[in-house]
Amino acid sequence: MTALQVSHVSKSFPGVKALNDVSMTMTPGSVHALLGENGAGKSTLIKIVTGIYQSDSGSVLMDGAPVRFANLRQAAAGGLGVVHQERNLVTRFSVGENIMLDRLGASALSIVDYTAIHREAEKWLKLLDLEVDPRTLVSRLSVAQMQLVEIGKALSLQSKVLLLDEPTASLTPNESTVLFRILRRLRDDGVAIGFVSHKLEEVFDICDRVTVLRDGINACDSADLSNLNRADVVQMMIGRAERITKRAPRPKPDTTPYLELHGYASGLGHRDISLTVRPGEIVGLYGLVGAGRSELARAILGLSRQLGGVVKVAGTPVHITTVADALHRHGIGYVSEDRKQEGLILLHSVLANSGITIWRKLANRLGFLRDATINAEVGPVLQRLELKTPSVYQTVGNLSGGNQQKVSVAKWLAAGVKLLIIDEPSVGIDIKTKAYLHDLIHELAGQGTAVLLITSDMPEMVDVADRILVMDGYRIKGEVENDRNYDAVSRAIMGFIHDKAA
Amino acid sequence: MAGQSNTDGRLTRAFDNDWIGPGIVSLVAVIGISLFQPAFLSSFNIFVLLSAISVNMVIALGQLVIIGLGQMNLALGSIGGLVAISFVGMLEKLGVPLPLALAIALGIGVVAGMAGGYIIARTMISAFIITLAGLQIFKGINLGITRAQPFYGVPDLVKAFGNASVLGPLPWLMVPMVICSLGMWYLFNRMRIGRHILAMGCNPHAAELSGIDPKATMIWAHGLSGLLAAVAGVMLVAKLQIGQPTIGDDWLISSFAAPVIGGAVLSGGRVSVGGTFFGVVIIAIITQALVMFNIDPFAVQIVLGALILWAVAINRLREVRIAKLQARGATA
Repeated sequence: MTALQVSHVSKSFPGVKALNDVSMTMTPGSVHALLGENGAGKSTLIKIVTGIYQSDSGSVLMDGAPVRFANLRQAAAGGLGVVHQERNLVTRFSVGENIMLDRLGASALSIVDYTAIHREAEKWLKLLDLEVDPRTLVSRLSVAQMQLVEIGKALSLQSKVLLLDEPTASLTPNESTVLFRILRRLRDDGVAIGFVSHKLEEVFDICDRVTVLRDGINACDSADLSNLNRADVVQMMIGRAERITKRAPRPKPDTTPYLELHGYASGLGHRDISLTVRPGEIVGLYGLVGAGRSELARAILGLSRQLGGVVKVAGTPVHITTVADALHRHGIGYVSEDRKQEGLILLHSVLANSGITIWRKLANRLGFLRDATINAEVGPVLQRLELKTPSVYQTVGNLSGGNQQKVSVAKWLAAGVKLLIIDEPSVGIDIKTKAYLHDLIHELAGQGTAVLLITSDMPEMVDVADRILVMDGYRIKGEVENDRNYDAVSRAIMGFIHDKAA
Repeated sequence: MAGQSNTDGRLTRAFDNDWIGPGIVSLVAVIGISLFQPAFLSSFNIFVLLSAISVNMVIALGQLVIIGLGQMNLALGSIGGLVAISFVGMLEKLGVPLPLALAIALGIGVVAGMAGGYIIARTMISAFIITLAGLQIFKGINLGITRAQPFYGVPDLVKAFGNASVLGPLPWLMVPMVICSLGMWYLFNRMRIGRHILAMGCNPHAAELSGIDPKATMIWAHGLSGLLAAVAGVMLVAKLQIGQPTIGDDWLISSFAAPVIGGAVLSGGRVSVGGTFFGVVIIAIITQALVMFNIDPFAVQIVLGALILWAVAINRLREVRIAKLQARGATA
């Protein structure tokens, strides 16, 4: 008996095979973990199941019957409740009205019967042990309470399958415990629960089955979790070192560090962070998702207040408060992991995107900019990166993922940054381009750029970085000198992360 | 983890009501002005003031529906103008009976609004652009029909409606205004369509995921906005006693100003019918007082602009305070 079955589903996007013959079977009365690192295909799979994407091949079955939802609303009507990572509540409405929002009345002009609505909502709140008056405005709830309201809303639609996407990401441990107690009860009532999380302790705490995705394929399909231990699961998530190319060890630079943090604390929650990056050095920052790595990059760029410690650039103590400052005064550039949202302006041309960082410098005295001036600066950089584009006037959105990534690197190179923070460079990029990007990072370092590399892709980390700092819970847990011996290095890294679990 | 409901006193919560602030400002303005100019409270002056407020309130309600949705309707005035001249034109040139002419005129408003709403819903192009195009089209039809000349054939019954009083200084024009205001209050607070409009304005993503049909909701809202524009257009015909092709040309600024002064958030989801009423009252009082005190009429526009800034600043302060409270609640 299966509640939801994903059977041999494949999905391709231009340039990437996101899912390749992936299967998963969820049964009633079971909590099923869906695991995998960034870019492994988890979110693509959820989007296919819930009708946001359509699969290229394979099928999705509910209660044994094939389904193909056209959108989320249909999925909800078909008994598939999803609680998304971001909150989806109307904060100015009451708890009860949110739960019943699609059942306020038969026709548009129906009068809303608030007594009945709040009475019905109360039933679901009781089921979730949520002691909140259904008349309370959602804006007055805590994040944890909002989460439960969303679960109540999904259940009130008679969902037999409940998918929770990182439900504990914004919860305290206490709140998570409460959530788990409720999930266990729902499980015992026969609901099939899908649980996406990056916190392995939680997975072992509450889940009984597990599907792990890696690079778009099943690392395991609905395995019994009781037969696995933590090391097995981590092994499946990060995979083996099959495609490590052994690079020659690079000479250790002995110069003044370009960036130094001592006992640094940020408004985002980082505490006691100390690190150094020297010119020509590639320092890796490894950690599972949620460890606070991208957030550290943001904090360094001045997007968060510095609460403590010392930041030195080229040996001089500084205080960076804006991104413009970080770039123009201190020569720090950031290649965002989310290149579509933050790194590039997809509707603009290659020229506009790669030149944006130097407009200020190149504008003549009257503030005018000429394409030729920009092209003279940017052209050589693009050539060096071997960007494949019909012309510099091509819209960036039309380029492949790898070439888009080159443009987002190019704009910082054009600006002549001394320190480049590169965040998850190979998300959504095929293996060949990935190897090329790795060469590129090495080349940059060879020319004296200091590189801080953030990635949760272990083989990438071992391939590229000189030194690896391990981060967890917004702190640096330890440092591993990378001798490119994959097994030893990855064991050492995981050792630092495991440390916390004990 | 506990809600803030216990920490807020009843008094502070009362002050969170959007109509309290503008209500107090209105009251103070009336008292202040009448101290200097007792004629301000004369029966005639009150009648004139209430007539203007009545028409402007219905116009503001027409914009309020769309603000609630998180959009804007630039075509409001040109729909009202088209309805006004169609109404008089049908009576004068075609000899259509009054009740039928009224029904058709209101119908034109609904259809014009819904057409805009349909295009916005289907194409998902911003309402700003679509209603800007609507503004031009409806105005063009208006001028094509009238050749920019007014229609004069307004029946005596209609003229009387626009200029007679129900009781003392209370004009007949107040009747449709009160009906529309109560109706819209009820719609926003108690009817499915009103709640769906506000839900869409507050969080469109959540609304759609909850099974609300965004397209139908948009078409409804714009149709309703067109209806209110039509009612205001007919009211103006009655008040002016003439089918002016220029009716609606000057609605735009005040149709936004009054709801915003009344606490509406332009990104949607938060509207107050009571607040909007006092917003209309404040604008009417200022406009009239400046005339009474012989102040340059151009100063009226400057004062109105300053008032909008003030209202937006108050709103912003309130939002920041709520966000802070929530942040504290989340970390506690």
